[in-house]
Amino acid sequence: MAEYRMHLMLCAGTGCVSNRSLKIEESLEKELKKHKLEEEILIVRTGCNGFCAQGPIMVAHPGEIFYQMLTQKDIPHLVEEHFLKGRPVKELMYTPPEEKAPVPKMGDIGFFREQRLIALRNRGLIDPERIEEYIARGGYTGLAKALTSMRPDEIIKEIKDSGLRGRGGAGFPTGRKWEFTAKAEGEEKYIICNADEGDPGAFMDRSIVESDPHSVLEGMTIGARAIGAHHAYIYIRTEYPIAVERMRKAINQAKEYGLLGEDILGTGFRFDVTVHRGAGAFVCGEETSLIASLEGRSPEPRIRPPFPAQSGVWGMPTNINNVETWANVPEIINRGAGWYSQLGTDTSKGTKVFSLVGKVKNTGLIEVPMGITLRKIIYDIGGGILEDKKFKAIQTGGPSGGCIPEELLDLPIDYERLTEAGSIMGSGGMIVMDEGTCMVDVARYFVDFLRGESCGKCTSCREGLESMYQILTEICEGKGKESDVELLEELCAAIADGSMCALGGTASNPVLSTIRYFRNEYQSHIRDQECPAGVCRELIHYLIDREKCTGCLLCVKNCPSDAITGERKEPVNLNQEKCIKCGICFEVCKFKAVEVK
Amino acid sequence: MSNLSTMQKGKIASVLVIGGGIGGVQAALDLAESGYKVYLLDQRPAIGGTMAQLDKTFPTNDCSMCILAPKLVDAGRHQNIEIITMADVDSIEGEPGMFKVRVKKNPRFVDESKCTGCGSCWNNCPVRNMVQPDEKETVKPELEEKDLEKITELMGDNKDGRGTLVPLLQDINTEYGYLPQNIIRYVSTDLDIPLSQIYNIATFYKGFSLTPRGRYIISVCLGTACHVRGAPKILEALERDLGIKVGQTTSDLNFTLEAVRCVGCCGLAPVVTIGDDLYGKVTQVKIQKTIEKYKGREYAKAKT
Repeated sequence: MAEYRMHLMLCAGTGCVSNRSLKIEESLEKELKKHKLEEEILIVRTGCNGFCAQGPIMVAHPGEIFYQMLTQKDIPHLVEEHFLKGRPVKELMYTPPEEKAPVPKMGDIGFFREQRLIALRNRGLIDPERIEEYIARGGYTGLAKALTSMRPDEIIKEIKDSGLRGRGGAGFPTGRKWEFTAKAEGEEKYIICNADEGDPGAFMDRSIVESDPHSVLEGMTIGARAIGAHHAYIYIRTEYPIAVERMRKAINQAKEYGLLGEDILGTGFRFDVTVHRGAGAFVCGEETSLIASLEGRSPEPRIRPPFPAQSGVWGMPTNINNVETWANVPEIINRGAGWYSQLGTDTSKGTKVFSLVGKVKNTGLIEVPMGITLRKIIYDIGGGILEDKKFKAIQTGGPSGGCIPEELLDLPIDYERLTEAGSIMGSGGMIVMDEGTCMVDVARYFVDFLRGESCGKCTSCREGLESMYQILTEICEGKGKESDVELLEELCAAIADGSMCALGGTASNPVLSTIRYFRNEYQSHIRDQECPAGVCRELIHYLIDREKCTGCLLCVKNCPSDAITGERKEPVNLNQEKCIKCGICFEVCKFKAVEVK
Repeated sequence: MSNLSTMQKGKIASVLVIGGGIGGVQAALDLAESGYKVYLLDQRPAIGGTMAQLDKTFPTNDCSMCILAPKLVDAGRHQNIEIITMADVDSIEGEPGMFKVRVKKNPRFVDESKCTGCGSCWNNCPVRNMVQPDEKETVKPELEEKDLEKITELMGDNKDGRGTLVPLLQDINTEYGYLPQNIIRYVSTDLDIPLSQIYNIATFYKGFSLTPRGRYIISVCLGTACHVRGAPKILEALERDLGIKVGQTTSDLNFTLEAVRCVGCCGLAPVVTIGDDLYGKVTQVKIQKTIEKYKGREYAKAKT
């Protein structure tokens, strides 16, 4: 292998690619060639770096210099100054909102400083399409240890002792799940990796599979050894084409290296993995429904027991875990249960990956130890609320979760405490909401999502969600009745009781938690016909502040319904009757002269 | 009017209720109580339908078996009700008041008059749970040569046995942009999978379309992060701009507008994908400009 004096880790995650990071690569190659540096400096396409908001991102090693928001224009200057003359370019570094000077080192940036990487241990450091780089970072040593010096029951004990719990959301102890499957009887046993990440607002599974597919494969192979399975399926949703592609490549590479297939590492153990693409149904994230989908049946969940551990895919004992859970396994085997269980709280050990998104400054993917407070996540890592507005709530757990208000910001995060607060851990989406987010609208959004995704098998879920949606829509339109909130609470209880799977069972969380913490917002919609956040269309109107308006006529040009008229350099007029409340004027106005009332 | 008059003449001798779920059972009971002779027909080996599988009913959460069981017993005992199970309707002729229905009764291989439903045959059967094959479509549709070639190739990739239907449909959907009807029929006969099952799958998942779609699929992400950052307004702006509603295709087959649950790019919310290109942090004004580019592209392509 050739030696290079510098490595440029260019993020090729979906976020950065959509910000044209591959064009940056082209320019870099061209410039490096121009300065005859192509044999001294290597460009590496890595998986998602995590700090998606600042893309495209490149980290230059040695020195761990963090460059962000690169454009093709910046590249000639950057190559000449830094890579040729050795002077890092300050203008392209990241300046945190609260500081004045740019922070050159990635590890010193607030967004990265508080993080603790286990599942994401290789992010931004390796080329996910090259198994050699994974191995060079200590990859597959956990598998070697598990296959050569541990008995299956010892592997299970190690995982049990580590306290690892299912990262898909429900938090069932992984070691115990493995033990059930290991003890179950069946001619054949199967392993499934659930990468059907359906929660809106969450993308950690995508990121792990795209940036480090081998960690998932290694974890699955260790699990297969522990429970005695020889075949596995990875169920990836079809919306993630890059993840499917990378995983397929990774499987082929592992086979070439004798780390998958027949006689792994010469121990005689055989294990094979098949990638299965989903076809777009949220309910497929539920395990029994995922199995039905895998078998080609219509993906409706069924009653448990029997659990998949007794009767899963093709009626055989099946162990199903989430991507993030599998990615944790190799590190636990490598470093031991004791090391892993030091992190976290009494009941929830280790770290958790969250996608921190919504109205927060630093959006992206983070991995933090369990027990960290929400305040730390939002303000230290996330850098605070966008445009320094007022924080209102944070939504965790996707459509099965709830909204947590400001009073609970010092809540340490673990499975139990989030459940007590009326939300759930879920797969790890964290959507920050500010004063401009209407909580009734959020509840309506989730109910709308769920009513579309309900498979329709249980009447309570199918019909109940429909009724809730209608009630919530009426409230949003200002036609709500005083009794509606009570009626919603009653419906929530009925749906949770009468549904077979978790989709219906937890569907009430977004509604109940918003009623619990934001009852006053419901009331101002119902009693005063007002939407305090200025979101619900029927209850708002746009106004022009005549003092701030400079008469630039940008709004006039963009208004789709010709509701705004005016002369240059004169305050414009808005005709309320013609206004369709699309909000374009609000969006384009540079002088904040458009108000929502 | 003629129909009504025949009915008024009282020509109704008996009623056939098709489907023995709770609705069918209740209808049969009501009719039987009013003095009609009722035939209650069900495809399955027993009446009761889905409700028999449920624990509770909506919205009162009453025990579902407690409601259903007495009605089943009533239907079974009623003098005026004749239950025909494991049967299909073959044909219906006539007009209201004067129907002739041919019913095909499938073999049960058990003497119903003697069976007590003790269930020990079920427990002792060596080939239990064997599925009765659905009647398959026998006429294989003719395909054009190029379609036949394509489909044979796609099926070749997906013929390794169990669970191949979904991947195959995905490949067809990618190849054609939707699932053409003649091809689905062909697959059904060739793979020996009932058409009903294929449609069940094809309509369940969001990833399949039964109608042709545009050259560029515009997907507006409606994930939570995108929602709070204004995705619904982006969708409306696109609807206005293209003159179509979500789910529709423009008449020139250039664009199809779709709303998707989440594309997993939440850090860049709100997000729109057009074909294979992803656009992050879009605004109503920006996206309209972007769309113009695609309109232009198609125009340029058509010109050359």
